[in-house]
Amino acid sequence: MIRALHRRLLVVVVLALLAAACSSDGGDGGAGDAAQPAPRQELTVGVTQDQYTTDGPQASLGVAGPNANIYETLLYMGPNFEIKPMLAERWEFRAPNTFRFFLRRGVKFHDGQPLNAQAVKVGVFDRAAAAGGLTLKAGPESTVVVDEYTLDFTPKIPNLRLFEQIVHASYPVIAPNSEVGKKPVGTGPFRFVEYVAKERIVVERNPDYWGTPAILDKLSFRFYPDSSARRLALEAGEIDVAFDIPRADVKSLKATGVNVPASPVGGYQVLFADLTGKAPYDLMADVNLRKAVAYAIDRRALISGVLDGLATPDQSMVPSPALGAHASVVKGIQFDVAQSRRILDDAGWRVGSGGIREKDGRQLKLVLVSGFPSAEVLRPIPAFVQAQLKTVGIDVTIDERPDSASFRDRIRLKEGDLFLEQRSQNDADPSFLPVVFMSDISEGGAAPYQAAFNPGQPFNGLLRSTLTEASIDKVQASVAQAMRNAVDEQATVIGLAGVYPIYGVRSNVQGFVAHPTTQNVLFGTVRIGKA
Amino acid sequence: MKRYVLRRLAVLIPTLLGMSFLVFSVASLTPGDPAEEYAQRVSDRPPTEEQLRLARQELRLDRPFVVQYVSWVGHALRGDLGKSFFTRRPVVDEILHRIPFTLQLAVPAALLSLLLAVAVGTLCAFYRNRLVDQVVRILSLAGASMPSFWLALILIILFSVRLHIFPVAGRQAGLSSVVLPVIALSLPSAAVLGRFIRSTLLEVLGEDYIRTARSKGVREVSVLSRHALRNSLVPVVTAFGTSLGHLLAGTVVIESIFAWPGLGTLTLDAIRHRDYPMLQAFILFSGLVVIAINLIVDVSYAAIDPRIRPGRRSSATR
Repeated sequence: MIRALHRRLLVVVVLALLAAACSSDGGDGGAGDAAQPAPRQELTVGVTQDQYTTDGPQASLGVAGPNANIYETLLYMGPNFEIKPMLAERWEFRAPNTFRFFLRRGVKFHDGQPLNAQAVKVGVFDRAAAAGGLTLKAGPESTVVVDEYTLDFTPKIPNLRLFEQIVHASYPVIAPNSEVGKKPVGTGPFRFVEYVAKERIVVERNPDYWGTPAILDKLSFRFYPDSSARRLALEAGEIDVAFDIPRADVKSLKATGVNVPASPVGGYQVLFADLTGKAPYDLMADVNLRKAVAYAIDRRALISGVLDGLATPDQSMVPSPALGAHASVVKGIQFDVAQSRRILDDAGWRVGSGGIREKDGRQLKLVLVSGFPSAEVLRPIPAFVQAQLKTVGIDVTIDERPDSASFRDRIRLKEGDLFLEQRSQNDADPSFLPVVFMSDISEGGAAPYQAAFNPGQPFNGLLRSTLTEASIDKVQASVAQAMRNAVDEQATVIGLAGVYPIYGVRSNVQGFVAHPTTQNVLFGTVRIGKA
Repeated sequence: MKRYVLRRLAVLIPTLLGMSFLVFSVASLTPGDPAEEYAQRVSDRPPTEEQLRLARQELRLDRPFVVQYVSWVGHALRGDLGKSFFTRRPVVDEILHRIPFTLQLAVPAALLSLLLAVAVGTLCAFYRNRLVDQVVRILSLAGASMPSFWLALILIILFSVRLHIFPVAGRQAGLSSVVLPVIALSLPSAAVLGRFIRSTLLEVLGEDYIRTARSKGVREVSVLSRHALRNSLVPVVTAFGTSLGHLLAGTVVIESIFAWPGLGTLTLDAIRHRDYPMLQAFILFSGLVVIAINLIVDVSYAAIDPRIRPGRRSSATR
């Protein structure tokens, strides 16, 4: 009797649990609803792995990775790398090294605090100073509040690229006394609702937004570390927008009705030549060999055959809009197999056994290391380059690194001849990528890259003025000349293609503007509904 | 029995110490500089020489290896496994926070895998060399050979994209979120275990006492369930214990595909960010789990087969 009772009770409990589980899908389905309210505007975005940190002074919740549109920067970088007003209405340079910002009036943080010069001082510049100054070169005494809506910023050392740098999403204006890692408070079109680590961050419309309020009621970002799962979630309709769709998936996604909007080029796939490696990684020190490699690669075939047309043959490593009127200075080395062979012949490299060239008993063998942002993203470019170089008698061994840390380790150890990377420009400073990866400038350059890839003079001299020259036109001219030296004349960096992030957008999503950097995508004008 | 368990627990101390040294050394030998990863996160670009120096100082990586290890062991003995290089939170907190999510997958996957394996193994043994046996064996061979990430993607395409029955990934859909990752996690180990159970059962079914039972007119189902299955359980339990270890390893891939916020995802992130404290803690934790499983398996022999008494060599052999 008691056993039977227990069994029945168990059945009831199981049924109740199943019912509860089924109801958790959110269907409210009230049968007696008389009036149908307007459907809520809710958008879900699938992004890569959760990159937020929530502890410590450099907590980044909601800032970037992804930019949840909670925060805003003083200035904003548009899709063509143009600087636009955001929380600063105006800005001016005051020689020799001071930058004045005039703040927008009547802006409030999500918690009701007013946006003023003191808030910007604490929320942007003091925060950068506490982290060592960052690219802004901010020091503890750098910022002076002029009045309620005006402030001056003077970097520790001359840094006249500040306006171009401050557009970077990692310089948001954070509300005073707020805890970024727990409850991010900004001025953006969306305000924080919840964050579940490794799962999602959810924001809702900020009705008191200083500009035109967002159309979406709710915006969720879900983390999908696996790119295949992210793409399948988009196809299944689980998410409305996906960031960083694998190139190989674009054709099949388009066939299912998903839009893949293109943005201007914001990144580059390049081969950095190891200029200071020791044997057997010393071959790229020879400019003739570098040029022979550069001439042997058919970039148009690469773009049409390997990159599915989702790239451009740009080789400048700096986006054209960022170089302004000087973009055409960098020509790039055009595909010319005959020229490649001629250079190798003239340099004494003769075709030997198996079609591999030899000189003084040494075979022309190179190691191509691939791994940033990941070998998976760059595949099958190494195999393409390998096949192309084989036609001129260069034997290439591919070394795909399991992750970017081990890739950088190869650079540090200089164990490789060519290093394949995909790099993106995240601010409007034309010297951003050249300074970080190739310059000898200690305040801005990345240590292992400098040691391996710095082309020397005149490249260094041309770049050195970028921090001290006020005129952006002159800086663009200098950077263009520097890149001409590195790409066209010395071939220390061999450009392969100009690329942009690939977004997948379901057909019912309107108003999405593809941006060359995912960190700057704005959702204020995005809505759900037919066009 | 009590003495045996205590002795096994005592062996744990040198085992863990040896393991900790191995873990610490392996992490340090991994290519990639954790200071570089850390500094890059702070400044959002590859660090300068000065930033690297400051990062090494902050993460205390500027001390000699031995000093780092001794300091780590000292703190570990007090239950402090350090702070994550990435999140800057205590790694013990991070791991404790993630364990329930992994258990949500691992426990049902282990049960499902055992259930399937017993069913498949018994079925195959019962219908030895007949069509059912051959079909199931081919399927289980395919299941055992198929990489779990591939299986996971096939399941997603079929049940999420085409049929819209289960969500692609994430935990937002409640119970139905668990189904696909659990299947993807359990099928490969069920396939391996099922084949093992089949061969063990066939061996037992050839024993004299089975023939005696059959000659006495005992029904075939009873022969299988009461006599054969129980007597084949000891090696099966060992294999199941081993498969639990594989299951834990499998969560690393499965959690990444299904965007599951468990220990697997945490480990992948730790590897990606060269988060040594997190990595060391995870490997140590995994080692503890495997040791605990082995201990439970050994102790369970006695419950399954009364002739076996752990620790007594003479009675441990059948």
